[in-house]
Amino acid sequence: MTQEQPGPPRRVRVTAPRTAARATGASFPVAREMAEQSELGQLFVTSLIRSQLRLALVVAGGFLVILMGIPVLLAVFPDIEAMTVLTVPLPWLILGLGVYPLVIGCAILYVHSASRNERRFQDLVDDD
Amino acid sequence: MTDALDAGGLHLSPAVGYTALLLVALSTVLIGIYGLRISRTTGDFYVASRTVRPWWNASAIGGEYLSAASFLGVAGLILISGVDALWFPIGYTAGYLMLLLFVAAPLRRSGAYTIPDFAQARLDSLLVRRVTSMLVVVVGWLYIVPQLHGAALTVQITTGLPSWVGPLAVVVVVCLSVVTGGMRSITFVQAFQYWLKLTALAVPAAFILFRLGADGASITAGGSAFTTDLNTTAHASLYGTISLVIALLFGTLGLPHVLVRFYTNPDGASARRTTVLVLGLLSVFYLFPTVYGILGRIHTPELAAGGAADATVLLLPGRIFDGATGDLLSALVTAGAFAAFLSTTSGLVVSLAGVISQEFFQGSVTGFRRAALLSTIVPLVIALLTDTLALAGSVGSVFAFTASTICPLLLLGIWWRGLTDAGAIAGMLVGAILCGGAIAVTAALGPDGGWVWLGQPALWTVPAAFLTMVLVSRATAGRRPATASRVLARLHTPEPR
Repeated sequence: MTQEQPGPPRRVRVTAPRTAARATGASFPVAREMAEQSELGQLFVTSLIRSQLRLALVVAGGFLVILMGIPVLLAVFPDIEAMTVLTVPLPWLILGLGVYPLVIGCAILYVHSASRNERRFQDLVDDD
Repeated sequence: MTDALDAGGLHLSPAVGYTALLLVALSTVLIGIYGLRISRTTGDFYVASRTVRPWWNASAIGGEYLSAASFLGVAGLILISGVDALWFPIGYTAGYLMLLLFVAAPLRRSGAYTIPDFAQARLDSLLVRRVTSMLVVVVGWLYIVPQLHGAALTVQITTGLPSWVGPLAVVVVVCLSVVTGGMRSITFVQAFQYWLKLTALAVPAAFILFRLGADGASITAGGSAFTTDLNTTAHASLYGTISLVIALLFGTLGLPHVLVRFYTNPDGASARRTTVLVLGLLSVFYLFPTVYGILGRIHTPELAAGGAADATVLLLPGRIFDGATGDLLSALVTAGAFAAFLSTTSGLVVSLAGVISQEFFQGSVTGFRRAALLSTIVPLVIALLTDTLALAGSVGSVFAFTASTICPLLLLGIWWRGLTDAGAIAGMLVGAILCGGAIAVTAALGPDGGWVWLGQPALWTVPAAFLTMVLVSRATAGRRPATASRVLARLHTPEPR
């Protein structure tokens, strides 16, 4: 938070006592400072937070619907438990293997879109 | 527990156990000492001065997170409750997805060391800080206890020593490495231990599958591995499953030792990259406890009824292989299990010590060391006085508790301008009382009594905590800190290019 710079990050000495914990960096870059102070900057920040929250909620919601759909589906159609692939029952396959690629897929999708939102914000602030 | 194990003759040869335990303890302390040479400042001690690369960091997070519950508990639970147990590794992994979506980058940008630091910076209130600190310490202690129980089980099975030796050994090794090196050396230790744990499960699993395949036997015994009814627990209800998954998903993002790891990333974007790597590492890891659990249903079925299901991973290699091969593979899984207790416990101790030393010892390095001792001794006493067998289950309760207390504070603090100190405190207390009460009542009624909505409380305690936080914050809107907009901007704006 203090002196973030491109390239390998410089080592910073961070002090522990709690009084120092909330000291806001005096070294905030000017563009960012302006983004926070000016009315237009406030607007940019608010819209960035909104779009990041919307993105997170959409990804989380989609994931939860699919995940929670599995036990519901199994409860509604108990016949699924009798289906097997190479002697392994379908519920074991879905829960033991199938969910993990879904988790990773959601994560990659999110990181991609979140970084895009941040790039847009930075372009706006830099033009400003 | 002792009787069940003795009667079953479940001991491995002691030499195997001693060798494995000594090797892990020794390598942990050595890497800790190596870390000491490059650990010089207060920042090094607390958060490794934020210079750890994503790949190292991801391995370290994996090493720290994969606890006794993951290494031993998941296979044990698959043995006794079959397909329902697969929700545990799913929840443990997907918890990191929630962490990525809602917490990872903003928390890294907050510039705070610990959750109490964050709470104070966001809400500008010392009282919020105190309440959060107390909850973090309670969560940490509760989470260390099952690790020590796992250590008791492992040491007893592998060496035949009395059950108090395991917890004591873990506490001594952890104290040595934490007190000497702090966070920076712990990062190396944890990263090493992820790969140790993965190897310790993967290599014996490969040997076992190859052997079974070479013998021409059907690995799943013609599918009967999945259908045999060893279940000592009732089939989970839909409510129970959903409530468990909610607890695991939202409990992960409130665990103190998980959060402190994100401060060792250089910036918000790398915090996100680290989390994606962690998801990959966890997904690969959890394949193996599942394989052990399924094979255990054929080769070690008597453990289910004997109350020693958590020993499945430790005993399985010895059941398939005799002689030296069996001993070597057993030593490997024992080493992995010991690494699991060590790494999770030391991660928890580092984050607890950070909180306790800032609260009571002015945040100095000496204070950190004293706090580290304090944060191991209390759970050690609890672990020695109590006795529990289902590791994955008792860890599940801790997740429900964090999901009902710290998770609402973080989510609303990061995403909602309107949160006030009064709302945060009220919400955390409501969540703590409801969820803690439900867990206590269930524990008092014993494994056969109790209702599922008390045993798996997350589905109603988490919304209750969120609702209280929102409603009380609305009612006390005048107490919104003046700095709220500024802090939120800081959390969400990217670091300059």
